[in-house]
Order: sequence, then C-alpha cells, then structure tokens
Amino acid sequence: MTEQVMTEQTKSITIQAASRLGSKRRRQELLETTLIYILLVFVAAIVLVPLLWAIAASFTPNNLVFRYAYPFSWRAFLPVEFTLDAYRNLFARNFERSMINTLILGVTVVVVGGVVNAMAGFAFARFNFVGKRFLFIFTILVTFLIPIDLTAIPRFILVNSLGWINTWQALIVPGLASSMVIFLFRQFFEEIPQDLIDAARVDGASWARLFMAVVLPLSTPVMITASLLLFLSQWDSFFWPLLVAPRPELRVIQVEISNNVGQFQTLWNELLAGSMLAAIVPILLMLPFQRYYVSAITSSGLKE
Amino acid sequence: MIIRERLIPYLFLLPAIGLLFVFNLFPTIATLNESLHANSLVRGGRIFIGLENFQRILNDPIFWKSLRVTVIFSLLVNPIQVLLALGLAVLANQRVRGIAFFRSIYLLPVAVSINVTTIVWGLMLDSQSGIVNGVLALLGIPAQPFLTAPSHALWSIIILATWKGVPLWTLFFLAGLQGISEPVIEAAKIDGANRWQIFTRVTLPLLRGVMIFVLVADTVANFLMFAPILLLTQGGPQLSTNLIMYETYRRGFVYGDLGASAAMLWVMLLIVFAVIGLEFFLLRERQSS
Repeated sequence: MTEQVMTEQTKSITIQAASRLGSKRRRQELLETTLIYILLVFVAAIVLVPLLWAIAASFTPNNLVFRYAYPFSWRAFLPVEFTLDAYRNLFARNFERSMINTLILGVTVVVVGGVVNAMAGFAFARFNFVGKRFLFIFTILVTFLIPIDLTAIPRFILVNSLGWINTWQALIVPGLASSMVIFLFRQFFEEIPQDLIDAARVDGASWARLFMAVVLPLSTPVMITASLLLFLSQWDSFFWPLLVAPRPELRVIQVEISNNVGQFQTLWNELLAGSMLAAIVPILLMLPFQRYYVSAITSSGLKE
Repeated sequence: MIIRERLIPYLFLLPAIGLLFVFNLFPTIATLNESLHANSLVRGGRIFIGLENFQRILNDPIFWKSLRVTVIFSLLVNPIQVLLALGLAVLANQRVRGIAFFRSIYLLPVAVSINVTTIVWGLMLDSQSGIVNGVLALLGIPAQPFLTAPSHALWSIIILATWKGVPLWTLFFLAGLQGISEPVIEAAKIDGANRWQIFTRVTLPLLRGVMIFVLVADTVANFLMFAPILLLTQGGPQLSTNLIMYETYRRGFVYGDLGASAAMLWVMLLIVFAVIGLEFFLLRERQSS
C-alpha cells in the first residue's frame, strides 16, 4: 500500500521534472531558432541592400539618386519619382549591342566549346592510350595551376602577332577549351555502362557516330552544367576582352559597363541601369537551374 | 585498321588539347622569352637583353610598393573571407524552415560580376553622399573618405571583394558540410561531445580537403584582383591600392612596356606557386601532428 503511494508520488515527481526539463529544452531550442533567424536575416540584408538600392536608383532621375542615401532613409530602396530615363538613354547609346555581342560570344563558346571539351572528356573516360596520364596531367596543369588571367598578357602577345586584335576569333577561340569542363564530361562519361557502348560497336557504329548518336543524347545533365559554366564565364569575362577587343563594335557587356564608369562618371542612374542589365542575365539563368549552377561551380573543387 | 583504331583517342583529344597548348601553355612559356628581350631603337626589331627586364623591375620602388600592398591585401582579405564563408556555411546548413529561400538569396552575389559589384559598391562608398556614409551618420559616425584616403581605400576594396567572394566560397564549405555523414556526428554526441567540440574535432578535420581548396583558390583569386582597382582607384590614392595585377597591366598596356609586364608576370607566377605549395605544406603539417 505505502509502496504503491510512494511509486505514485515518485512517478508524478518524475513526470513534473521531465516536463520542466522538456520545457526548458524547448525554450532553449526556441531561443536558438530565433538567433538563427536573426543571423539569417542579417546576412540576407547585407546581400540584398546593394542590389535593392541599385535597382531603385536605376529607376530614379539622376539628380535624385543619392536623395535618400545620404542622409539615409528607408526610401532609398524605392525609386524616387519612378522613371525609365536611365534605361532609355542607355539604349539610345546602343547599349544593346554589347548584350547581343556577349550573347553571340557565349552561345558560340557553349556550342563549339561544348563539343570540343566533351570529345576530350570522352577520350579520357573511355579509351586507354599511350600518354593518357601525361596528357591528363598536362590539362590539370594548364587550368588548375595557372589561373587564366595570369596568362592573359602572354596570350595577348600571341593573339596580337596573329593579327587578331579587335576580331571575333580573338574573343572566341581562346575560350573554347576548358580543363574544368573536360573534367566534368570525363566524370560523367565514366558512368556510362560499357554494354551500351559495346552494343553500338557490335552494330558497326564508328566512334564518331557512337559519340554523336549514343553518348551525347544521354548527357543532358552534364551538358546543362557545362553550358552554364561556359556561358557564365563568357558573360562575366572582362580582362581578356578589354585587352583584345576594345573596339566599340565588339565590346562585350562587362567592358561596356566599365567603359561607362570612365565616360559617363556622373550619370549614376545609367551606370546602375547598365549594371543591373549585366546582372539580370546570370541571375535569370541561375534561378531555374540552381542545382546545376551550384554543381557547376563546386565541381571545380571537390571532385578529387 | 588497327592503326586507325589506335589514333581515335588522339583525334578526340586533339582540338581541346591543341587549343589549351596553343593559347595557354605555349604563350606562358614564351613570355619568359619576351621578358628576356626588348625592342631595339637603334637596330629595330628585337634584341636579347638577358635578365635586364627582371633587374629593372627588381630595382623599381613602385614594383616593390605594389608587392607590399598586395601582400598586406592578401593577409587581410583571405582570412576574412575564409572565416566568414565557413561561418556562413554553418549558418546556411541549419535545418530551419525557409532555409532554401535564404540560400537562394546568398547565391545572388555569385551571379553578379565583379565589375557590377564594383560599380554598385563604388557608388555606395561615395565619400560625400554614399549610402554607407548615410547609415554611419545614423549611428553618429562622421562621413568616411572610403575611396579617397590612403588609409581607407584598401579596406573599401576588401569590403566589396568580400561581398562578392564569401558567397562563392560558402558554396564549397556547404557542399563539404552536407557530405559529412550523420552517424559520425551522432556518434560524437553519444560520446558526450558538446557542439563546439563536435565542430572543432569532427567537422573541421573532415572539411580539410575543402579548406585546402578554398584557401588556395581564394588566395589566387584575390592575388589577381584587377577590375575594382581599374574602375575605382587606379591604384591610388598614393599607390595604396596599387595591387600587382593592376601594376602589371599598367606597365604593359598604359606605358606599353610589355617586357617589364612579362617579367612581373613571371614573378607573379612564382609567387602563386610558392603560396599554393606553402598552404598545402602547412595544412599537411597540422594534419600529421
């Protein structure tokens, strides 16, 4: 009898203690979650403030761009007296030419470079041949150890001696081969089942036919990743086009907006409008392809 | 037939390897040759001058000053970016509602080019009417000469490079964190490790490979920082932001001295290799001890 009472008491005490402990833990968890959200929002603000201000200012008359920046007010993130003047003036100066140029450049490099790099990746993945290791190390050496901008001046001297300055080929040809993209393809092609290739070979398909008709159609995911990588590297390229294609007819987008910094220093809303046009294309590509985009970027580092 | 069959892999490789050789490796080696020659005014054409270009830049105080600024910049910007990226990756790896939304936001600076970053931040850091000074004024801090004072300009470059760079390196750390298997962490928890211990003794050692990659890639990327200098400061004020990449460009393309430019480039290549080697060595050491 007494024993039973005791146990009842102990039980209730234990339950109380447990619930007290539980609520303490829950409170701690709540505090933690709140802290995490505060940090998340704080970082998001740091990321977004420049972009939101730039967007708002690009829709603002030039003389009012800094109206709410200094002294600062929240209205800095909304256009003051909304206007499309900045964009209209940009296009009146033929800004779209630089966008079209960069699109042509990017698409050409994606199509031609895609095939060239896929072929090399296929050779590394599916063939055994004399010098394979040597050639593989050579490609690693070329991009992973020597950064592309560091070799720009020697490349300029070469392209200059070829008489290619201010030509399309100077922009396109050196950007076609990319070790990083070759690695991406190699990785992917290694996973293709051998049976599939053997079957096609037995049917008498040549290697070229097999590559075009069997391998490439299977490769959509890696092609999206590789295309993003190649296109975005062209969309963002600045140093190389600045050196080899300064002629206005060939100007690419990063050179165009940077040129405006010197030439139209005080037309702040137009500088920002051009910048936003340069930023919107990669952002629009990134949003639907986020997974591919992230894997395109991280693939360079983590696959060892 | 057999010979043809054997040639096939080489044919597949030829376009890419050929392009890489012609446009990357060959010109880099040829630069060494370029740096050993000069245009002759007397005889016309090129003459061999040995190491004269190297001697010239090594005796040039502007080159040394530029190297010094680059070293200071590297010592500041790389630790800042790597630590912030690691912290941000841990934050973005938290399992809370809406985390995917925040991750998408953090991805934005990766998509924005360094030139766009420079233009926007250049206006935000304006000494008179920039938004950063506007916010500082709210806190009672007087307007700062962000881009016009030698004491501030390098920090302004660091700020904009960090805004653009940290989200990129975060991606690598985040991928690394997500690659750590749950049981490993659980096992440490059962052994009674607190969170800090788990982070320093389990998570960090497992991130070693990513850490090496990010350190090396970040160091090299920042070593080649160019567009912000060209667009905002042109190396000034008083050469306080005259980073080596900009100095190399200026010699070659503003002053037309490609010989000196090529010599500087070789010095830069050697430094890049030395830094990569050193970072690998240091991280190996710590691992074995």
